[in-house]
Amino acid sequence: MSVSLECRKVKRTGFLPVFFGGGILAAAVPVSNMAVRSEMYLNQPGSPIRILLGANWQMMAMLNMLLAVSGTCLLYHTEYADNAMQKMTSLPVRESSVFLSKAVLTIFMSLFVLVLEAGAVAFCSYHWFETGSGFWGELCKCFGYSLLLMLPCIILSLLISEACRNMWISLGIGVICVFTATMLPTADFALSLFPFAMPFQIFPGTDMARSAHYICGAAAELAVCGMAQLILVKVRRCFA
Amino acid sequence: MSFFTLIGVEFSKIRRSKILFIMAAAAVLLWIPSVLNAKMNFGMQAEGISPENNFFIQGFLGMAWFMFPAGMVVATVLLSQTERTNKGILKMLSLPISTAKLCIAKFVVLTALAAAQILMMTGMYYVSAAISSGTQDYHFILPPLFVLKEISLIFLSAIPMIAVFWMFSVCIQTPVFSIGIGLASIVPSVLIISTKVWFAYPMSYPFFMITAEYGKLAANLDTAQVELMPWLPVAALITILCLGISCLRFGQAERR
Repeated sequence: MSVSLECRKVKRTGFLPVFFGGGILAAAVPVSNMAVRSEMYLNQPGSPIRILLGANWQMMAMLNMLLAVSGTCLLYHTEYADNAMQKMTSLPVRESSVFLSKAVLTIFMSLFVLVLEAGAVAFCSYHWFETGSGFWGELCKCFGYSLLLMLPCIILSLLISEACRNMWISLGIGVICVFTATMLPTADFALSLFPFAMPFQIFPGTDMARSAHYICGAAAELAVCGMAQLILVKVRRCFA
Repeated sequence: MSFFTLIGVEFSKIRRSKILFIMAAAAVLLWIPSVLNAKMNFGMQAEGISPENNFFIQGFLGMAWFMFPAGMVVATVLLSQTERTNKGILKMLSLPISTAKLCIAKFVVLTALAAAQILMMTGMYYVSAAISSGTQDYHFILPPLFVLKEISLIFLSAIPMIAVFWMFSVCIQTPVFSIGIGLASIVPSVLIISTKVWFAYPMSYPFFMITAEYGKLAANLDTAQVELMPWLPVAALITILCLGISCLRFGQAERR
């Protein structure tokens, strides 16, 4: 019920069109890259997905994260803008469940964006490369992995937006985090566990053990963020 | 009210906004990797750039590519949201002040925030250059006049970009659209600077400028140089057009 409530809240805020437009923009990256300079990539070894993601994923992941950051900022901005939050807290609804339903909504929209991108990658593979058997399985695995690694970033930015009343502060912190993530060396495992750096990882080309480590890391970060959210709500109630 | 009083009023509105903390955090985070990797500056013989120049230019490349434009998007959000929360804009519009003047005053504040961000970056540059000089036993600090020239180039080339962002935030009422368009328009600038039509894309100006400077400082690196002829008129036209549109549209949605 409360997820549908959140859907109705975002109806006129432009939340859905932004994810739609952003998804199309991110999906256009590999297509336009292949259209302009396909000869650079056609002779590379490896599976088409690996080549395409290796060439374009940096930019696509950055767009995904910026979408997630601005979307989550907006979700809490609508609550704080005209003191709607006060009304929400006076209802018999737990703040954590509001958080959860907002998270579900954002995750669903990110999934939509990733599906658009997967469609673009599939189109490029069929149009420019020769695809072998097992292509769809690899594609699903690859984008499922990306979604998993996106989760900590989404939850953390939602947490930041819940903590800061003013939209520019949460947006500023989110933007700084994305920027920091672009500067971190991807080879270093400990540093790339930073929630905003994880979405830059790609599945093909990474060995199994390392991917498993990343998945465990993402799960641990999700648990930590969930705990932090519960504590934040409790502490804020005490001092409000 | 005179124009300068208006600017003063706008500054006092954002006094408690904590935007300077965010910019300072960005500046500190930007230079930490440079200090940690200061040793890498000595391995740039292939490009033919001296270590102190490389230290300076790498940091500012990082800033001009993403952090500075994104910081400006955040600042436009600040300026528009401080007015829209609690309907402050309605009170401003009921005063006998021309809306165009108000709009330009806000734009001046925005450029001042841009200057503040660049100055913070420069301040942190001197701090981190001093630290690196200590740790690497090499003089990394560049003369202030040279640094001043570079940062004024970045600032001047950023003005059209700031005007475009300001137009987005004035014309587009839903905040998430103006943020989304602003942030999304930064990402492709890294592709655009390598094309011939970079001068038509204001978001790439600061990055192009600093890349051109990199090419000048590095003897063996050949980057595209700034050609004033198509660029200056186009940039001036974009700036005037964006400012004109934002002056016309400012407060229109509230007056309906």
